[in-house]
Amino acid sequence: MNLVSYLGPLLQNAGVFIILALGLNLINGIAGQFSLGHAGFWAVGAYVGASYGVFFAPAFLPDFVNLLISNVLAIIAASIAGILVGVPCLRLRGDYLAIATLGFGEIIRIIINNLDVVGGPRGFTNIPHWSNLFWIYLWVVICVVMLANLLRGTHGRAIISIREDEIAAAAMGVNTTKYKTLAFVIGAGMAGLAGSLFAHAQQFIHPSSFSFMWSVIILLMIILGGMGSMTGAIVGAVFLTFLPEFLRLFGETVSEWRMVIYSLLLIFLMLLRPQGIFGKHEFNLKRLWPVKTGDAK
Amino acid sequence: MNVVLKADALTMRFGGLLAVDKFSMEVAPTDLLGVIGPNGAGKTTVFNMLTGMYIPTEGRVSLLNEDVTDLSPHQITQRGMSRTFQNIRLFKDLTVLDNIRLAGHFRLKYRLLNSILRTKAFKQEEENLITEARELLKIFSLEKKETFLARNLPYGEQRRLEIARALAIHPKVLLLDEPAAGMNPNETKELTALIRWVRDHFQIAIVLIEHDMALVMNVCERIYVLDHGVEIARGTPAQIQSNPAVIEAYLGAST
Repeated sequence: MNLVSYLGPLLQNAGVFIILALGLNLINGIAGQFSLGHAGFWAVGAYVGASYGVFFAPAFLPDFVNLLISNVLAIIAASIAGILVGVPCLRLRGDYLAIATLGFGEIIRIIINNLDVVGGPRGFTNIPHWSNLFWIYLWVVICVVMLANLLRGTHGRAIISIREDEIAAAAMGVNTTKYKTLAFVIGAGMAGLAGSLFAHAQQFIHPSSFSFMWSVIILLMIILGGMGSMTGAIVGAVFLTFLPEFLRLFGETVSEWRMVIYSLLLIFLMLLRPQGIFGKHEFNLKRLWPVKTGDAK
Repeated sequence: MNVVLKADALTMRFGGLLAVDKFSMEVAPTDLLGVIGPNGAGKTTVFNMLTGMYIPTEGRVSLLNEDVTDLSPHQITQRGMSRTFQNIRLFKDLTVLDNIRLAGHFRLKYRLLNSILRTKAFKQEEENLITEARELLKIFSLEKKETFLARNLPYGEQRRLEIARALAIHPKVLLLDEPAAGMNPNETKELTALIRWVRDHFQIAIVLIEHDMALVMNVCERIYVLDHGVEIARGTPAQIQSNPAVIEAYLGAST
């Protein structure tokens, strides 16, 4: 019983971070657009979903219907935020894009901090407890299937081609602006979804839950797992959700130094395996038990 | 004369530098033209203006009787002109097959939702695309390497793959930027035959930039010579070879 009440919230967080990492992986790892504002989209989704739950949700609807409405609203809101940020910012490249998106994330957090309707710096309380492990992991599965299918189609290939070589992609007739924005909007929408699931699982959200540090940690998840690999994003998200808990076993001091440990982890990773645990590969049974021979990959 | 591609007094200025000055060119449907000139003469700049990578400071480009000067590169490609690059620009971490499939991207009609839900339209169109890509790979004798990552191909094959990818656009005009750069004499010989064969087989116009004079004089029917951004000669290979201005640009003036 005790273990369940301890593991439950952790697994919930892991699920939320898987969705966040998958979204950021689409933007950073697959489209190759360096974004540092993922926590901003997460916050938009969380506050929109929570606002629906607190102010607008009709009581006669069953909880799961309300949750779905909240999820959809959060996805739409975060996608719109994605378009608003993406259209001007995606003209920038590399570091400049990272700085612009970082700024956006901070703007969102500061706006929320000053919005009294949603509690401002006191935090947003009394959010209905609608989401649970089942709904979170159902969405995780939906996201994974959706992304996997997207990447196997021509739209996914177009997104990948931008990462590979933007000039060549344009020369091959790929509308690079359109597909960069598409990747950005899908990633933002997924962050919004994660926000709404998170808000309805925690029942309490606070502007500082969506600070810049979280954008960095989500980025760390996909770097650790391997930029461009969905499997990597999932493994990275689970790993970094459980790592702080694991460090707690060694007492307060070790736990307090966790950001230092993260940095050391990253340094060692860059030295030993710069492409991340999975590189750009996906988990694939065929690779564990090769059936065909002469496959170049 | 029937013209597929027309450059009209293209001028490109980078700040104070006049890179190309009033370059004009007319390309007929099955022409095989060459653009030559010493290093820094502005040849690649001409290509970049034709394909929309640079917007010319002055002058117009028209493709199939449509003014494409202000269109972006992907729009120009979709209207029927494709190119290769001087320093090969393949999608290095994609397979050979995917490199070719990407060129079919803008011709596919299925929507994002089709690919997420894996509908019939998605499967059908993808299948057609793969069949077509394999045919093209066969022509360039790359069919055994379709699962290789592009980065793992030897240099000559990467060059061939880039030409194959440009052809997968179904272009009316193909621009080749130094296709023989870095090739050995044997590979260049094969390439010469290949370029001619591609023109005859696909019935398209080809314009190429090249430093390898044997190749240019062998395949090109007309040649434009640029020096310091200015056209100094144009004509058949024989005319170019005996043109004193060209000899001066390449070898210096005789005193």
